[in-house]
Amino acid sequence: MERAEFEAYLTPLLTAAYGYALRLSGDPDQAMDLVQEASVRAYQGRNSFETGTNFKAWFFKILTNVFLRSQRRRVGEEPTISLDAPDADGRARDYADYRPDPSARAIDRLDAEAVQAAIGRLPEEFRTVAMLYFLNEFRYEEIAETLDIPVGTVRSRLHRGRKLLQDELSAIAVARGLVETGVVDG
Amino acid sequence: MAKRLSCEEAFRRLDDYLDRELLPDEMAEVREHLQTCAHCAHGFAYESGTIKAIRAKIQRIEAPCDLLERVQAALDDVCREREPN
Repeated sequence: MERAEFEAYLTPLLTAAYGYALRLSGDPDQAMDLVQEASVRAYQGRNSFETGTNFKAWFFKILTNVFLRSQRRRVGEEPTISLDAPDADGRARDYADYRPDPSARAIDRLDAEAVQAAIGRLPEEFRTVAMLYFLNEFRYEEIAETLDIPVGTVRSRLHRGRKLLQDELSAIAVARGLVETGVVDG
Repeated sequence: MAKRLSCEEAFRRLDDYLDRELLPDEMAEVREHLQTCAHCAHGFAYESGTIKAIRAKIQRIEAPCDLLERVQAALDDVCREREPN
């Protein structure tokens, strides 16, 4: 594949790629570095891409791996959300126990920093799936292809990650006084 | 004719319905249930609204104006390394 053709595939994805890298890393400079490195790696490996297949999933796989490698080089913070928390299967809780969460209404009053903080607290495997879903609106199959995991794993991680993120954002909204606790949405 | 779902059956399909990942006939079954059950319709609308709110927050990102330029510069370096003078 010539460079011009490669760039024709890549350029339309760059903004989305930057956004994904930013949400994963939480740092604009690191996000830029991640996108640059992923672009270089993708270009160097461009002959492994099969024309006609999903370039977006292929490139985001490279970007995700670049990010994960950068994380393994880091020492320090671990997400503080426990994977063993109750409601581990997200929506698998009982229908009888379900109540719409009124604090979820305050999510739209949160600022970008609060959102980034909530994302940063997600365990890595939930964060990547959730970001591909929320940010890039990938379908289950695309997420599975990007992360090299079964579709069933995508479903369970997405549903769990979505619920974790929702709960985190709601907790931040409550902590900031954006919603009263104990308010029941009729 | 679509199978009539109970509230519990519809609830179990909530996430896949919101993600549009059900088969067409399954989507129709859930849709029919929501048309007849105000309680479930309220819950589904609530969850859908929350997803949209999160998406709106997360998608609000401005890429640096030199993003393309910097990526192209990185690719230029790769090409230069492969073509020494």
